[in-house]
Amino acid sequence: MADLSIEQFQKLNQQIYLKLGLHFDEKKIYFMKSRVAKRMAALGLTETQDYIFRLSYADPQGAEMQELANLITTNETYMFREYEQLQAFANYCLPEVLSAKQARGEKVLRIWSAGCSSGEEPYTLAMIVQEVFPQVQNWDCEIVATDIDENMLKRVAAARYGERSVHDVPEEIRGKYLTRSGLEYVVRPRTAALVKPMHLNLHDRMAMRLMRAFDFIFCRNVLIYFDDLSRKAVVDQFYNSLNRGGFVFLGHSESVGRVTPAFRLKRLEGHLVYVKD
Amino acid sequence: MSGASQLTEYLARLASADEAERSYAAEDLGYLNTSEGTLALLDRLRREDSPVVRDAILQALSRIDGDEAIAGTIPLFESEDPQLRNLAVSVLRLKGGRSIPFLKKAMLEGDHDTRKLALDALSGMPAMGAEEIYAAALADEDPNVRITAVENLGKVRALEFREEIEGLLKDDAHPMLTAACLEALAEIGDKHSLVVIAQRLPQLADLPDFFLNPCLKVIAAFGSAGEFPEVAALLAKRAQAVWPAILNALLAIQQRCLGEDAASLEMDEPLLADLRNLIETHNPAPCRYQAARLLGFAAERDEIAAFLVGCLTHPERLVRLGAAEALQSSARPKLDSVLGDLELKKHEGDIR
Repeated sequence: MADLSIEQFQKLNQQIYLKLGLHFDEKKIYFMKSRVAKRMAALGLTETQDYIFRLSYADPQGAEMQELANLITTNETYMFREYEQLQAFANYCLPEVLSAKQARGEKVLRIWSAGCSSGEEPYTLAMIVQEVFPQVQNWDCEIVATDIDENMLKRVAAARYGERSVHDVPEEIRGKYLTRSGLEYVVRPRTAALVKPMHLNLHDRMAMRLMRAFDFIFCRNVLIYFDDLSRKAVVDQFYNSLNRGGFVFLGHSESVGRVTPAFRLKRLEGHLVYVKD
Repeated sequence: MSGASQLTEYLARLASADEAERSYAAEDLGYLNTSEGTLALLDRLRREDSPVVRDAILQALSRIDGDEAIAGTIPLFESEDPQLRNLAVSVLRLKGGRSIPFLKKAMLEGDHDTRKLALDALSGMPAMGAEEIYAAALADEDPNVRITAVENLGKVRALEFREEIEGLLKDDAHPMLTAACLEALAEIGDKHSLVVIAQRLPQLADLPDFFLNPCLKVIAAFGSAGEFPEVAALLAKRAQAVWPAILNALLAIQQRCLGEDAASLEMDEPLLADLRNLIETHNPAPCRYQAARLLGFAAERDEIAAFLVGCLTHPERLVRLGAAEALQSSARPKLDSVLGDLELKKHEGDIR
């Protein structure tokens, strides 16, 4: 296996952060070395320095960075994934937005789960909204769940999940919002009704312009697979899609601030969130 | 809708009170890709307060093919607004080689800030086509300009500038320029570069960290057995901040010179003790990993091999992995049975 010095690991980390927004702790040096070795073998390279150079300055379309991304990221999705971030949403951001709307006499809440995959995220958000704000039943509340993959959207509409998807759902939440059906869990109709699956390609700028007036946008662990320009275009569009005071959530290791300075970074009791002023 | 009517519509929306509409108009003008659109965007940019719309305008300019977009962006280098200057650099960088003639003009006619920003715009681009710009930059009176040029050339491995960069390592060179030259030579240098560096900075032990780190990188890249003892002696003398660079250099030399019958590659008792101590005390995990791997080059010694076997059950995973790698690459017999006894291959998925 080709060697990866500490300095090379740091350079690689820098490039991965710049291009994917992901950061790897120094203890991941061995993990990174083995993944880089696979890519070097595929490319017929023997010197790590050459691979880093290629990744940094000879990968104009971002194809090699994508190959590396596929090796260093997991594609798993399940309910209540990245719990800490959801806590910030549930305990601070959602109450803040709801309270501001109540003060203005508004009763509309719109959330967008962009790149929703099979739907675990939008249904998680639906459960959280109902748990934090039971009066949502009297509001015009919509969680728009978009994805480019029609098969995934069919799974969202079906709202049925296996044990793997619900393993992190707190027990009391599971009983309240899901029902058991054989080996599967079905989202209860009152919760499922909040979620609207919709086909959308995040690269389709005209379709994206129609997405307006959201209070929250979740796009977690999706944009790491985009090149720099596309990622920026999508996040810029998110800014235009949000109401003032609205929040955007990318994956916990993805940085909004790195992509655009348009959002303000806000600290809420140890959580860092991005808001549109 | 015809191009002319689209242009009219987009120009009208560019004046909208709504921030999102102005952003979309800028984006659409970028895709429309006309001279009139370019002029309108540049005009709007001068008056626009919203950072989001400014950004959209500059993204649009990066999409427009004509030279007006480049020529109109260069003057932004002189803006008082840092966002505009930074965005201009980003746009010109995206334009790639087409921006070089304009950047050359900026280099020859601009003040020191403009010259520096012109080089920022070239960062990451191959030096081919920009040789005149770099030749001027390396001889510039402003140290910032020279430093930026050297950094750029190192990053893109512009080997053709090696001699010039070695030449910049003079006694009276600005310290940051010296450090930048060292970093660049780690990428584009060769064994001769080590000679040049040794003439300028003869004693590694006396160097401040900001010189020592890049020197060690050059040694890691091109050093041989001759450099090993001096680098090894640094481990006991220098603080933790430079240990990664020291360990990297030692490992690189050992790997490069494997098989050479060089007495200077022998790891003496003080070095072995330092490496064991580094592993056993609370130090950054990557350093402990590198130290364990380095001990592998002395694993023919029973006590070192025993120490490494002991490391196979260390609480720190990187130490375990480093020790396993060290033992695997050593010529110790019966290693498989040792690892097998510890059931390491079952529990450490990364060990093959």
